[in-house]
Amino acid sequence: MDLIPPDATFVVLTTITLLGAIMALQAKELIYGAISLAVSFIGIAGFFVSLDAPYLAMLQIAVYVGAVVVLILFTIMLVRREEADKDESGETGESAAGLWIAGLLAVSIAGVAALAGPNLPTNPPTADLPITQLGSVLARSYPVPLIILALLLSGALLGALVLAKVDR
Amino acid sequence: MSAALLGIGIYGLSVKRNAIRILFAVELIVNAANLNFIAFARYMNPPRISGQVIVFYSIAAAAMEAAVGLALILVAFRLNSSIDVRKLNKLKG
Repeated sequence: MDLIPPDATFVVLTTITLLGAIMALQAKELIYGAISLAVSFIGIAGFFVSLDAPYLAMLQIAVYVGAVVVLILFTIMLVRREEADKDESGETGESAAGLWIAGLLAVSIAGVAALAGPNLPTNPPTADLPITQLGSVLARSYPVPLIILALLLSGALLGALVLAKVDR
Repeated sequence: MSAALLGIGIYGLSVKRNAIRILFAVELIVNAANLNFIAFARYMNPPRISGQVIVFYSIAAAAMEAAVGLALILVAFRLNSSIDVRKLNKLKG
C-alpha cells in the first residue's frame, strides 16, 4: 500500500503536538508539563485550522490554552511545590506495562485505520464550511443540547466552587 | 496521529501517580477524540458541519471536567496533604 506523502504542515503540526504531549507527561517539573500541554493544544488548534475549522481553533486556544492550562497552573501553585513536583511514575514493571498497553492500543487503531485507508478519500472534498453555518446548525438543529450544556456548565462551576470552598 | 495522541494519553493515565498528571492525560485523550471528529467530518462527501458542533460541545464539557477535577484535587490535597493517587485510598474522610 502506498501512502500519500504527508505535507509539511501536517508533519510540523504532528511534531509539535506529539512532542508537547510527551513532554507534558514526562517533564520533571509539573509547571513545565503544564506549559508543554499548552503547546500540544496549540498544535491541535493548528490541525483545526488546516481542517477548515477556524472557529474551533480559536475556541481551542481560548478554552484550553487560556482557561484550562491557567487553571492547572493555579492548582499547581496552590498545592505545595515539593508535593507537586514529587512525580515518580510507578515501579519500572508497572510503567513498562502501561507502555505496552498504550502502544498496543495505538498500533491496533492505526492498523485498522490503515486497513480502511484505501476506502477513504485521499483529498478532502472542496467545500466551504462557514462559521455562520456552524452557528445556525448549533442554534436550529441542536438547541436542546445547547441548553443542557449551559445548565451542565453552570452546575459544574457551582459544584467546583462548593468543593473548593474553605469551611471556616 | 490521533492514535498516537490517544496512546500517550492512555500511557499517562495508567502509569502516572500524580493526580494532576492524570488530568493532563485525560485532556490529551479528549483532544485526540476531538481531532478525529473534525477530521472525519471534513473528509466526508459532502463535508459535514456536525463534527464541529460535536467538538464544540466536547470542548465545553472538557473545560468543565477540568474545573471540577482540579477542585477535587484541591479537596483531596487538603484532606490528605498529598495528590499521589496511590495514597488516596481512604474512603472515610
